[in-house]
Amino acid sequence: MTEAAAAPTDQQTKGGRLTEWLMLYAGSVAAALFLTAVLVETTGGEWRPVMSALLDGSLRRPGRWGETLGTMAPLLLVALGTVISSKAGLINIGQEGQLAIGAAFAAYFGLLIGGPGPINVVIVLIFGVVGGAFWAGIAGILRFRRSVPEVLSTLLMVTIASQAVAYALGKPWLLLASEANRGNRNQVSEQLGADNRIPRPDIFGNEFPISVYMALILAVAVAFALKSTTWGFRLRMLGQNPTAARRVGVSQGRYGMAALMVSGGFAGLAGAAMLAGGGFAFGNYQIVPGFSGNVGWTGLLVALVASNRAVAAIPAAFVFASLRTGSGFVASTGVESKITDVMQGLLVLALLIPPAVMFIRDRRRARAATMART
Amino acid sequence: MTQGLGSTGVGESTGSPAPKVEFSGITKRFGAVVACDAVDLSFFSGKVHGILGENGAGKSTLMKVLIGLVLPDGGSISIDGTIQRIHDPLDAARLGVGMVHQHFSLVDPLSVWENVALGDAGRLDPEAVRARVGEISDQYGLHIDPNARVGDLTAGLRQRVEIIKCLRRDPSIVVFDEPTSVLTPDESAQLFDTLRNAVAAEGRTVVLVSHKLDEVLSATDDITIMRQGRVVERMNTVDADAATLARAMVGREVSLRSEAGALGLITDDDSVDVEVDSAERDTTLSLTGLRATGPGGVTLLDDLSLDVGAGEVLGIAGVEGNGQRALADLLSSLVPLTAGSVRVGNTVIDHTKPGAMARAGIAVIPEDRHDSGVVLDMTVTENLFLVDQSSVANRGIIDMRAARDHASQVILDFDIQCSGPDAPMWSLSGGNQQRVVLARELSNNPKVLVAAQPTRGLDVGAIEYMTDRIRHAAADGVAVLLISSELEEILDVSDRIAVMHRGRIVGLMSRAEATREQLGLLMGGAVA
Repeated sequence: MTEAAAAPTDQQTKGGRLTEWLMLYAGSVAAALFLTAVLVETTGGEWRPVMSALLDGSLRRPGRWGETLGTMAPLLLVALGTVISSKAGLINIGQEGQLAIGAAFAAYFGLLIGGPGPINVVIVLIFGVVGGAFWAGIAGILRFRRSVPEVLSTLLMVTIASQAVAYALGKPWLLLASEANRGNRNQVSEQLGADNRIPRPDIFGNEFPISVYMALILAVAVAFALKSTTWGFRLRMLGQNPTAARRVGVSQGRYGMAALMVSGGFAGLAGAAMLAGGGFAFGNYQIVPGFSGNVGWTGLLVALVASNRAVAAIPAAFVFASLRTGSGFVASTGVESKITDVMQGLLVLALLIPPAVMFIRDRRRARAATMART
Repeated sequence: MTQGLGSTGVGESTGSPAPKVEFSGITKRFGAVVACDAVDLSFFSGKVHGILGENGAGKSTLMKVLIGLVLPDGGSISIDGTIQRIHDPLDAARLGVGMVHQHFSLVDPLSVWENVALGDAGRLDPEAVRARVGEISDQYGLHIDPNARVGDLTAGLRQRVEIIKCLRRDPSIVVFDEPTSVLTPDESAQLFDTLRNAVAAEGRTVVLVSHKLDEVLSATDDITIMRQGRVVERMNTVDADAATLARAMVGREVSLRSEAGALGLITDDDSVDVEVDSAERDTTLSLTGLRATGPGGVTLLDDLSLDVGAGEVLGIAGVEGNGQRALADLLSSLVPLTAGSVRVGNTVIDHTKPGAMARAGIAVIPEDRHDSGVVLDMTVTENLFLVDQSSVANRGIIDMRAARDHASQVILDFDIQCSGPDAPMWSLSGGNQQRVVLARELSNNPKVLVAAQPTRGLDVGAIEYMTDRIRHAAADGVAVLLISSELEEILDVSDRIAVMHRGRIVGLMSRAEATREQLGLLMGGAVA
């Protein structure tokens, strides 16, 4: 009866644990980079110029880190939504579709309502949230009224979303731009007007939409909401022990639905921010086929690598954004730019291995401690 | 078969036969704790050996050494005169040692024969397995349908599956670890017949590990009593009586009622401390005509009605699996009713709405705390505010410092052993997790306290603590519903006793009127 806790919280081991974590991360990232280098060499390239191009494209060249930050914002927003649904024990993997629908809603209603500048930017963003939440909400209704697993419904609705957006892009009464504005292109939406765009102030020769700040603030807000609000507390309870949650009055339908819709809302917000934020990566303030450009999928990876912690998603999103902006420059070295996709995959693995190793080690230690006590 | 107890020739062993199993000087330390301290022990073929001891006395560790789950630090085990090193359960199985564990290790969605075949190597031959199951069930009177889904079986039948699993490998030594905790008195008697049968007919060695005096007295040939890792007493069952055994087991005279209850020593003529006429109390919890069905249309509750008054402890006796769990789940808003109503005071509670029961002031110490009692991945602090955050939250924002301060106080008040308010719940031992649940449920000023098997798996000291707290809650005017399959616990704490069978109340009496025999009959389904 007098056994103390087995939690690894002893003061003297804390520093040791941090070192252990750092060593693990350094080791596995180095291994991923090494494998990439080997791959580049064996496919006939040279690894030095490739790595250098990657750095040039993401950070070093003028204006590039602004571009990277601009790319980071939607990735981070998608990841934050993923964190929320995962904490509630729900697996939303349809961000790619929710993002596309959010952007479509934002474009349609933003152009339809068209108020004075700043207010209209807010309207555009709000309709992005509404679109994403609506799309995730359908999966939510299927889940909580008809017990359809949300993993399947959210995933399959990505396909439907891309079809729906493609359809809307073909109809003048939906998204298709007027003939005068679309020229000879036949699937393109009207551009958002100059005063309906998110401002892109210039900082040290880098410019990025101020939605980056919004994403960063939201990351901190999500972390706080999950940790220190009753809503977040109950959401986590639902994710970790649904039975206990039900006993204390956390309705799975209500909270689960809310979590899915908030999650989709974040993806939709990311879509609206891409639309209104512009930048080299996300086109010209208009929707074109393939607008979502895998941001939804990559955002999922960001949340995965951050092991569903909102603040940890910030650096993770930055790393993935760097790979995206850097990959454009890799092509100039003559190496297939797809190599960065492989590198991205290897990095995901590299960043996932340390938590897994630590989990196994902790469990082993806990078991040893338990054996020593009983 | 019932006369088998006396007729197997306990005293007829000629001379002194060689022991089948011999422990000599077995020692096992876990850190500073000595679980087994130079234990010498012999088991013989054709005999039923009882090993008696409190929780933590070392009896389970000793058996784990025999089964290969624990490696001893010192000493040796010989089987048939040869010293053996048993490194893992496979070694043990090769040497003919089988064990029927206290907690079933069965896979619910699989059928009986599939569960029996689990762990087999090579190709699966369903027909052969089914035939073997049939053979064993005929041979030992363990009747069971090999094609039945294990999830649909009662606890007694599940245990049969465990026993068949064990006997299928034809072990020469069979260990039963606390086998009767899930059985009716009748089923227990049947089980002991089986034990006796296996011994008498086939010369196997049977070891019965238990903390219940009565069953050790009625089913064994000799008794070994362990305390704090040592063998303190050894006697032939014919020479033993309950009082001697209890003294040897605890190490002093047993005086406290709850201690006696924990050991199964409550006798029927024990007077009840204070007799309060239940008619005079205000009814706090009122259950009327409750009906509930489980998955597959199984009836869980069948027209169950019950009133519990303020300040009263109503004990619900019954063999596990007769709807007690459903009743506790209902009062935790986990199971909806198909008919009937639950009232607290004069308010009817909406049974379909999550959390409605908790909001109405029904506190629950659940049977399986990991199920609905705690969230293992949250901290002790968070677990203390699981039900109600209003005392530490302001407009939906939790004041973490206040919560932590409060938690530190509770940890002191309830003597919870943990590394602090931020310790994750999984790092606490079972008894301490139970204290967190108790502290939380009592801190919300409940009107009703439902305690389901609250002392299961706790040692004598912890049992006393728990029963004390339950009595105090009642003294403070809480209506207490105590659900337990331990008759002794019910008899020890309750003011009134109800017996549950197949989802209904089949008997209701005051403590003074209750006798063990009568309760036992009612539990088995006999009409009152």
